[in-house]
Amino acid sequence: MRLDPRHAWMRQLAALAVLLAVWEAAGRADLLNPLYVPSPSRIGAALVELFADGSIWPHLEATFTAALGGLALGIAVGVVLGVVAAQVRFVAELLEPVMTILNAIPRVILAPLFVIWLGIGLASKVALAFILVAVLIFFTVFTGIAQVDRRLVERVVTLGGDRWALVRHVYLPSVASWVLSNLKIAIGFAFTGACVGEFVAATHGLGYLLSFAQSTYNSALMFALILLILAVVLAIFAIAGRLEKRLLRWN
Amino acid sequence: MEEGRFVSLVGPSGSGKSSLLRAVIGLQPPLSGTVETELARSQVGILFQDDALLPWKTARENVALGLMFNGMERRKALAEAEAWLERLDLAGFGDRFPRHLSGGQRKRVALAQVLVMKPRLILMDEPFASLDAIVRARVVKDVITLVERERIGVLLVTHDLEEAISLSDEVYLLSQGPRARITQHYPVPIPRPRDPVQSRTHPAFAPLYQALWADLSREVDLRAEAA
Repeated sequence: MRLDPRHAWMRQLAALAVLLAVWEAAGRADLLNPLYVPSPSRIGAALVELFADGSIWPHLEATFTAALGGLALGIAVGVVLGVVAAQVRFVAELLEPVMTILNAIPRVILAPLFVIWLGIGLASKVALAFILVAVLIFFTVFTGIAQVDRRLVERVVTLGGDRWALVRHVYLPSVASWVLSNLKIAIGFAFTGACVGEFVAATHGLGYLLSFAQSTYNSALMFALILLILAVVLAIFAIAGRLEKRLLRWN
Repeated sequence: MEEGRFVSLVGPSGSGKSSLLRAVIGLQPPLSGTVETELARSQVGILFQDDALLPWKTARENVALGLMFNGMERRKALAEAEAWLERLDLAGFGDRFPRHLSGGQRKRVALAQVLVMKPRLILMDEPFASLDAIVRARVVKDVITLVERERIGVLLVTHDLEEAISLSDEVYLLSQGPRARITQHYPVPIPRPRDPVQSRTHPAFAPLYQALWADLSREVDLRAEAA
């Protein structure tokens, strides 16, 4: 039998349905311990419950604010530092080793430190998301500017463009395209930072709820939260994908 | 170099042909000596080996760039750019990005980018080398027609002796570098207007080609002996 590649999504969906049905049946036949692996229907119920009483909204809001705040700050600071380091040798000499070290370590180990410095509120989560994103964007921009196509620079100069024209027509679009092509990774980092921060110490947020579910052995809630985080990040990926496609339509 | 003349520079690799062009346009200072010209900076254009179009700008925007750098209002510059695109058989392609154009089309856009500035002199650094033979012949034909009609001077750097003879009024031979200098000068007595393909059957073509080839080979051999 030949498989039509256009219908792959149908087969994937069917496989998922079969998996869920088997999982559900095994759960009802007492083959799975609900303490570890709750059945899909119980996970679904937990998910519905989160929204039914509206208790999820403050948590979603907390995680979103932390992730998007850290993302925006991280991109802004990463771009500025990357540009300055690429232009001013002295700044590059100071920044590069710091960034290299920050890049080499798993930056989430800074989470407890941020809690001590900034408290258990929003600020420590924003800081963690920020540091994850900023290092990524810094290297994207710093190495990117060094690799700007010399031929484009010469083309603009020989057509009479001044320094400002170079920034506007060559450097800015180059930087924007590198940042955009790393946007999805940055979004993933931002949510990692926010959730891990909430995991360590918080009063709100999806990460906080996860750690609550863990401490109360509520695996149905845990699965429901994992699903929710997945859905949130995928939705933002879709938006980022459209943005990338629109802004990089020349590519 | 006289105004409106088509002059070619040929010579072995490393004789500094490209560096000479870059010095004339101000991309690098000459190692010694000076560049003297009566032309304003914006009257000299350069066509590189790569088309070097800005990938994030449409064909029309790319062509309009130089005009806008020289203070022309955006809308006027774009209209002028469109007119040049049409003159180069690119009507309807103005909104395309370089990535969505063929090699020959990109070369024409690069040409429009230079011509729109109304240059009196165009420097060409092996601009046709990357094109395949048929596209190349057509682009070269358009170039020669335009520079003859507008009386634009050209300083062409090339490895291709046939191209040099069929297009030029004069060909200069550079010796092997370093410290390369001009060793020979050949006037090309083929009348204008020229057809770059037909020129090759002109009686003056073959002897000139043989002379150039012999002199160029000698330069390369001299170098090999010295090494």
